[in-house]
Amino acid sequence: MPQPPLDLGLPRLQRWMQAVIEQPGAVDEAIEAEAARAELDPADIGRVILPSKTLTAVERVGVYQGMYLLRMIEALEGDYPAVAHLLGADAFADLVTRFVAAHPSSSYTFNRLGRQFPEFLRVSRGVRGKAFAADLARLELAVTEVFDAPESPAWPVDAVAKRPTEAWPGSVLRPIAAFRLGAYAYPVNAYLQSVKDENHDHPEVGRKATYVAVWRKRYEVWRLDLSKPAHDFLRALVRGRPFGKAVASAARGLQGAPGEQLFRWLRDWVAEGMFEGVEGG
Amino acid sequence: MKPEARNRWGLPDLGIGIGLRTVHYPHILEKQPEVDFFEILSENYMDTGGRPLWVLDQVADRYPIVLHGVSLNIGSADPLDREHLSKLKTLAARTRAHWVSDHLCWTGVAGRNTHDLLPMPLTEEALRHVAARVRTVSDVLERPLVLENASTYAEFTSSSMPEWEFFGRLMEDADCGMLLDVNNVYVSAFNHGFDPETYVDAIDPTRVAQYHLAGHTNKGTHIVDTHNDHVIDAVWQLYRRSVARTGNVATLLEWDADIPAFDVVHAEALKARVHRRQEKAVAAAAS
Repeated sequence: MPQPPLDLGLPRLQRWMQAVIEQPGAVDEAIEAEAARAELDPADIGRVILPSKTLTAVERVGVYQGMYLLRMIEALEGDYPAVAHLLGADAFADLVTRFVAAHPSSSYTFNRLGRQFPEFLRVSRGVRGKAFAADLARLELAVTEVFDAPESPAWPVDAVAKRPTEAWPGSVLRPIAAFRLGAYAYPVNAYLQSVKDENHDHPEVGRKATYVAVWRKRYEVWRLDLSKPAHDFLRALVRGRPFGKAVASAARGLQGAPGEQLFRWLRDWVAEGMFEGVEGG
Repeated sequence: MKPEARNRWGLPDLGIGIGLRTVHYPHILEKQPEVDFFEILSENYMDTGGRPLWVLDQVADRYPIVLHGVSLNIGSADPLDREHLSKLKTLAARTRAHWVSDHLCWTGVAGRNTHDLLPMPLTEEALRHVAARVRTVSDVLERPLVLENASTYAEFTSSSMPEWEFFGRLMEDADCGMLLDVNNVYVSAFNHGFDPETYVDAIDPTRVAQYHLAGHTNKGTHIVDTHNDHVIDAVWQLYRRSVARTGNVATLLEWDADIPAFDVVHAEALKARVHRRQEKAVAAAAS
């Protein structure tokens, strides 16, 4: 005997359907999940969803539930292609499943979905090569952030030469919005490049401190490996340390003619469009 | 000369357009192909200040633009997302968009987004709820919102009217327009067992601001709206039937997965021009 229809009302119906859709695994298990059960007894699904000629009520909800995780995996694979490559399809899918359960999308855009992915990966259990993968994810997040950051005009390179000498010590350089600087425990930039090049002869993923600047120039994202002294100098500058103090600190770690070296770095970075301007001095 | 569209707002027949997709950026910027208009996925340009927006500005300088969203969440029990609306309005102004569309659906509740176009129960409660929200959105955007019929895979026992009736009453109550996706009509008709011609025949032709066409995937037990292939003949026939009622209305081909070269997508879209001409010839002969 057919059961009478059940009108849950819009809010409850949506809470139930979303709870089912967000559950991983088979739809038969998803309808039994606690969050779904809180809204609808699985025995009553036939009172809420109509069957079609070819699909049961549960199978029809399963069409939506089956596509949810695929969409999340595809979105995060777009942001983290090297991590996905490193882990392999199954391990990456498993990680994304756990990630979106902990951090479901709460924005109108996919752009924000993966922001907590590197930290989630860092503290996740059961991921092979986790420390390297988490470092790699941090670099890929930097690339994504730089890609989408607001555009700001770059400080012209001839401004370096034009700036009065006496103004430099107190000058504070301002990086463009589309700039990130990172220190990593592994050679993640080399790995990312090998994935982009579709070169399967990947570099060693053994522990080795590396430093990478990521920035956008003419709407393209660039990455630059840095030495530790160069990284430390650049970090001091982008953190707003007055130029004179940044130079004095950096010079202590350099041999030979540190002033020339530091000036060359600065000129190159300005030429690459990493800064939008200077204040003070 | 393009025949005048018969919609009540005087929205122009922009011709035959295609969706602006990342893989086609280089071709479009370099070749500047003759395309009547481009439709952009609104959310792809709201949160970026980089290359997508730079490309969009150039495209908008050369081609007419319409905005098509996937996250307005118009049917949700959640409050409207004011940040989303504000950015949508800014983007519409930036691109000088001819109109702004989204879907009759909900995408999430309790502050979440499943990023799917989830089906509405077709009830009096849902109708009142959505109509009130459409009026709010139209007020904020200072233009009539245009809503698309989504492909659906499930139906609710609580529904008290067919989708075409829901749409008709919604458009009257909220004074909004319709983006009639003929492929979605076909997909939902297959999945739910109704006659697709009944659907398109029931739509008020003066409310149709735009058409969508796309390919789909027939799984045997149901059809999924995958936008990954050519438009099938049955959908073209449905399109011609509807155009006979609405007159020529801006028509756009969606191709979002397994996207082929620009020229392949554009050639598929331009088939709509032939169907429009044939329909016009048939109409002239009949009169």
